[in-house]
Amino acid sequence: METPVIDFHCHVGRWGRYGMDDDPADYLRLMDAAGVDRACINCINFGDARRGNDRVARFVAQRPDRFVGVAYVTPRYPDEALAELDRCFDVLGFRSLKLYPDYLGKPIDDPAYDAVFEWADDRSVVIMSHSSYVHDDDWLTRPDRFVGLAQRYGKISWVLAHSGNARQGQEQAVTAARACPNVYLETCTSMGEHDTIEFLVDGAGEDRVLYGSDMPLMDPRLQVGRVVTADISHDAKLKILGLNAIELLGLDQPTSTG
Amino acid sequence: MGKVDLSFSPVVPVFDANVALGRRHDRRLTADTVDAALNEMRRAGVDRALAHSAHSAAFDARDGNDWLLEALEGVEEFVPQLVCSPAVDDLARLQDEVDGQSVGSIRMLPSTGGYPFRTWVVGHWLEWLAQTGLPLWLPASEIEPGELHDTLREHPTLSVVLCEVHYVHVPWIFPMLRSLPNVHVEISRFVIPDGIHRLIDAAGHRRVLFGSRFPDSPISPQLYSLHRSGLDYSTLADICSGNLDRLLYRR
Repeated sequence: METPVIDFHCHVGRWGRYGMDDDPADYLRLMDAAGVDRACINCINFGDARRGNDRVARFVAQRPDRFVGVAYVTPRYPDEALAELDRCFDVLGFRSLKLYPDYLGKPIDDPAYDAVFEWADDRSVVIMSHSSYVHDDDWLTRPDRFVGLAQRYGKISWVLAHSGNARQGQEQAVTAARACPNVYLETCTSMGEHDTIEFLVDGAGEDRVLYGSDMPLMDPRLQVGRVVTADISHDAKLKILGLNAIELLGLDQPTSTG
Repeated sequence: MGKVDLSFSPVVPVFDANVALGRRHDRRLTADTVDAALNEMRRAGVDRALAHSAHSAAFDARDGNDWLLEALEGVEEFVPQLVCSPAVDDLARLQDEVDGQSVGSIRMLPSTGGYPFRTWVVGHWLEWLAQTGLPLWLPASEIEPGELHDTLREHPTLSVVLCEVHYVHVPWIFPMLRSLPNVHVEISRFVIPDGIHRLIDAAGHRRVLFGSRFPDSPISPQLYSLHRSGLDYSTLADICSGNLDRLLYRR
């Protein structure tokens, strides 16, 4: 059937050791094969955030009907971060912000991020951050760390990429979503148990789960498959695949693929 | 608008090459019985599965194997796979179990078992497997690739299935497949874009096996992805069942 499919979690940039390439033609071919209308793309690969954001902007400029720009900044360069956010949202037209605290080596609720969060809260921005709790050493983005942030910065919509990855992380992610109406859960992972999507929908509700793939690190066909074959309602699948993302980001309804 | 199939079911017979059965110590699964696994397989359109005991893999091979053979008695949908730990297990006992049961494959977990995958530890086990035509399953995360390559090169007639290959194994999996023609690959965790075609390019489609890693992963998503990868029916059928049938029943 035809339904809007918005991939909330995509990257541009290469990561050769894992075979990750971002050739635009291959990117669009994969999106078409998976039935994805629009990919929300960020570039977290460079220590120079501006270089990555410019790469995103080039993709969006080529196919604004298929790509949605997502900004990235690093608190390692606090003197640059806010100006770069202004540029990404006001000049480049990006729609949300991606953060990856693992690079900083400090948790998502470290004060190093405060200025970014205050900027985003003022503008009611959507922030997606890596979130993971696979083992006890995997603590920087443990989902329970987002609860205090979501309460403190209540105008930000917080998207937990990977929903914590493993079941213990998913349990925290669901708890965070229940505690905070501005917390959303994104689906992509290479780890989740067989009933992960069902668990997230049961816990957070079908309105606050978002399909993502981590493309081009992971194949969107498989990640779409995790949603469409889950034991959840038809309506829930449509919301997760795209309707929730359209509402959260204020996107236009796609009309056709390709 | 994106075209997706919300009522997907496979169009080819499916023989899952990687299922774990039984309860765990570290958590309570929603599918921790043979019947629950069967229900999920039926929902996914899977006809048969190669299954090992989760207890065998995580705790003790012999106790887990005993449980598995009891649990699967009379259950035709599952083919038991026995786990062994060559450093401590008794080869003669395993040989008796294999002879007395419909066991067609063996699984080793060197990292979890704490032994090197070197000829001085596993050599005589591998010789027996090669002589009897029993294929060996090895999870990719359980093995150091240099050890794997050096040891398997000494056993060119042994069939090996490298299972649960992940994107972190990309730096060595393709050279390994090109170098060792007796190595097959199971795709439950292989999530990279166009991963199936990349494996086929490196090894040929007859060395690629569908497996789910259920219940640690869902059954259907990789099947869904395979069905949207532009494979012809024959190739799809080989990957989803034919290749595993050939490996297990060629003896």
